[in-house]
Amino acid sequence: MKRRTFLQLSGMAAAGSALAGCRKGNEKLIPFLVPPEDGATPGIADWYASACRQCPAGCGILVKVSAGRARKVEGNPRHPINRGKLCPRGQSLVQELYHPDRLRTPLKRSGPRGSGQFVQISWEEALATLADRLRPLAPGDAGKSAVLWTPPLQGYLAELVARFGQGVGRLQHLAWEPFAPEWRRQSLYGHQGLIDYDIENTQYLVSFGADFIDSHLSPVRFNYAFGRMRQERPTVRGRFTYVGPRLSLTAASADRWLPARPGTEWTIAMAMAKRLLPQVEPRVLAAAGLDTAELARLTEPYSVAVVAELTGVRATDIEAAVAKLVAIRPALVIAGEMLVAQRNGPEALRAVELLNLLLGSVNTPGGVYLTRPEAPGNDSSLAELQQTLATLQAGNCDLLLLQGVNPTYNLPPGFGFTEALAQVPLVVSCATFLDDTVRFADLVLPDHANLESWGEAIPSAGARGHTVGLLQGVVKPLHDSRSFPDLLIALAQTLGGATGAAVSEKSFLEGLQQRHAAGNPARWNELLAQGGIFPAEAAPPEPLRQVSLGRPELPPAADADPDFPLQLQIYPSSAFHDGHGAALPWLQQLPDPMTTAVWGSWLEINPQTAARLGIAHGDLVEVGSAAGTVQLPAFLYPGIRPEVVATPLGQGHQGLGRYADGRGVNPLQLSSAPEGGGGFPVPGTIPVRVRRLSEAGELVTAGHPEGSYRRELLGI
Amino acid sequence: MSEATDQLRWGMVIDLDRCTGCGACVTACQAENNVALVGKEEFGKGRNLHWLRVERYWEGEFPHVRARFVPMLCQHCADAPCEPVCPVYASYHNPEGLNGQVYNRCVGTRYCANNCPYAVRVFNFFNPEWPQPLDQQLNPDVTVRSRGVMEKCTFCIQRIRGAKESAKLEGRPLRDGEVQPACAQTCPPGAIIFGNLNDPDSQVARLARSPRRLRLLEDLGTEPSVVYLKGGGHEHVG
Repeated sequence: MKRRTFLQLSGMAAAGSALAGCRKGNEKLIPFLVPPEDGATPGIADWYASACRQCPAGCGILVKVSAGRARKVEGNPRHPINRGKLCPRGQSLVQELYHPDRLRTPLKRSGPRGSGQFVQISWEEALATLADRLRPLAPGDAGKSAVLWTPPLQGYLAELVARFGQGVGRLQHLAWEPFAPEWRRQSLYGHQGLIDYDIENTQYLVSFGADFIDSHLSPVRFNYAFGRMRQERPTVRGRFTYVGPRLSLTAASADRWLPARPGTEWTIAMAMAKRLLPQVEPRVLAAAGLDTAELARLTEPYSVAVVAELTGVRATDIEAAVAKLVAIRPALVIAGEMLVAQRNGPEALRAVELLNLLLGSVNTPGGVYLTRPEAPGNDSSLAELQQTLATLQAGNCDLLLLQGVNPTYNLPPGFGFTEALAQVPLVVSCATFLDDTVRFADLVLPDHANLESWGEAIPSAGARGHTVGLLQGVVKPLHDSRSFPDLLIALAQTLGGATGAAVSEKSFLEGLQQRHAAGNPARWNELLAQGGIFPAEAAPPEPLRQVSLGRPELPPAADADPDFPLQLQIYPSSAFHDGHGAALPWLQQLPDPMTTAVWGSWLEINPQTAARLGIAHGDLVEVGSAAGTVQLPAFLYPGIRPEVVATPLGQGHQGLGRYADGRGVNPLQLSSAPEGGGGFPVPGTIPVRVRRLSEAGELVTAGHPEGSYRRELLGI
Repeated sequence: MSEATDQLRWGMVIDLDRCTGCGACVTACQAENNVALVGKEEFGKGRNLHWLRVERYWEGEFPHVRARFVPMLCQHCADAPCEPVCPVYASYHNPEGLNGQVYNRCVGTRYCANNCPYAVRVFNFFNPEWPQPLDQQLNPDVTVRSRGVMEKCTFCIQRIRGAKESAKLEGRPLRDGEVQPACAQTCPPGAIIFGNLNDPDSQVARLARSPRRLRLLEDLGTEPSVVYLKGGGHEHVG
């Protein structure tokens, strides 16, 4: 072969191989020799749908996963509750997953109770210990009982726990956590169904202590709707009035704030009802079992002038709000936790909700929608909680199994929970962090984080049809943890017998798949990809049945007790909710919206009151009640009644990881035994006294108390 | 390609009537951009690293008091006061209207932060720490900044780049709303809108023409790319 021909041929061969290299299907620069197991490509993120269980709202989420790690959580745009939006707590789910102080293995107590000394044990040993305690509870045998305490459960998990309990025998299930929507049982609407406020289509919104932007039922859903109420309609801007003693984050967005004395808010509703009543046809009221004449008698004393006197709000302001409610349709009235926790809470709640009936705003656009629940909730009431605590205290309980609750933190000392624990031979805690309660446990079982768990998140508010969000384990479990339902299944297998027969599924995931897409893997994948089962159209609304009002009472006159002249309001922090968010550093560093305070707790006090007591911004003050004292930095807060002070719930943990441990104050120490209504463990307000201690309050805020710039300068 | 680039001018509209001050944007930004934690002590010294903060202003006195919220982030000024003072050209202007920050040029003079009237530039006084396994949450699309470097809001430039690349691969122009910074994506009341101001039909351009429009400290001549829409509702004030 000539040299020239050789070069021509080799050139053609090279061109040919280059062409072959261009063919489709070989797009990766360096193909894998061994493809990764999970099919993920390095540098390319996958998005998995799941659901958030940080609060009862049950928002849908999408999780960005690359290289097997969860990187970012976004809202799921297809989920009817949050429509692609998410709150700071949902955003912080990755920090729960990757928290450096998560429980990693089963632990057994090695020191005295509460010392926090534990030794590592195996799952086999942990399961055997638990099973030994559960066996003697079999039905028929006489003897002591066991208590399983969880937050309110829904759907498949609720059913699994019920079957497990029946199999075991004398296992009592308590489903209670603070701020669970259980309080709605006392509502005028009188059922535990789905409730949705059509805020986005309303023209006039009145909230009585419902902080629907911070914490009420479904904050992301209502925050989304609120934005649309303001500016989504071309010619209408919805108006909003807030009634309550403190300018909360929600109240800050109101056009009008009526700072009524705590416990008197409902009288404003009475003044509104009085004015609305003549507009309402008697048959509408009769259909709900109400008598117009009797209602007229009930509301008769509440003229605007009288209500102004009772509430301490200027009569012209009340009159303006009443006049708007009479004139504008559709209008919507919401009552919430801060109202219900008052001593007269249940009656006040019903008095306020009566307004929606008078406005014709039940099951109509711009009103409140009620839907029959798919399955009854298993929420326990405060009375049931107290009965259970009595059982514990009497020494009639052999085993206390806790999952996802932190009663040592969330119950005021007056409930005697910690003392009751001493009467229980074996306390088992299934948790993600070594929190206030887990410290007192004998056996600690690490639970999966939200992003590792499979399950369901069924919202109880904010939807108009049965909605099931599916939790997907988006990453492999990091530690030697087990999800709570899988723990129950493993226990049932260990126990065998009746329990083994009652709980026969191999794993929770398998059961979940069976429940939603039996024998249809394609359908299951489709459900997982969209994030759950969402109603195609709104379910038919549940008509309002016969209602009973009750008669609200006025609280005793303010400043009745000269020793404790101020009223303390404890509100759920928007970042920490009932306190479990405090473990996460992003939430610790998120400035509180109203005070911009970070990494701690504070006492909100009106500047006039502070001046009278000689307290300056940032001073350390002592807050004392009949039950005890705490020390807090003072924050001069213009948006609060002069006789009211307030502090957020959420800080002051003992345990719960390095970011929360020993930080701030748990204000529940100031509460004595429950006297409030509404099923809340803390009364709406606690009589306190406040005195200055020193200037070293160590308050850290992101902004200047007034804001960094003068507002006029910015032109807003 | 240069034609397509010229057609882009990124801008943001923040509707103060929708904003409820909830803070979801603050955490979303921190999560997306690997913004470090500083702890209480450093926070107290003003060394917070948040790229986006929500200012809260009190107005009036009890009982006629109200609080107003203003989300504050880099305004991506067309005439940015931070740019000409940088001795090493770490602060620069990109053709799409972004005010960029080149971390590996920055020598930490902090002149830019001094000159920013909105106080949105933050400085790394320390190397960031993420106790293991907290570091696994870090977003691989965003550089982790080290000690001595100035940083600030980028309008989530990694998301802009990502969207442009996928549009290019699919051979189509960018769609309106395709690029969502983390703050806008998560904002529950939908107060933050992002997009191309040069496209007169984009949502952001339409909103930016609203009669409620205002730009912060506009008389300084900074020409910000962030347009705020005034909140309504002064019923009970005054």
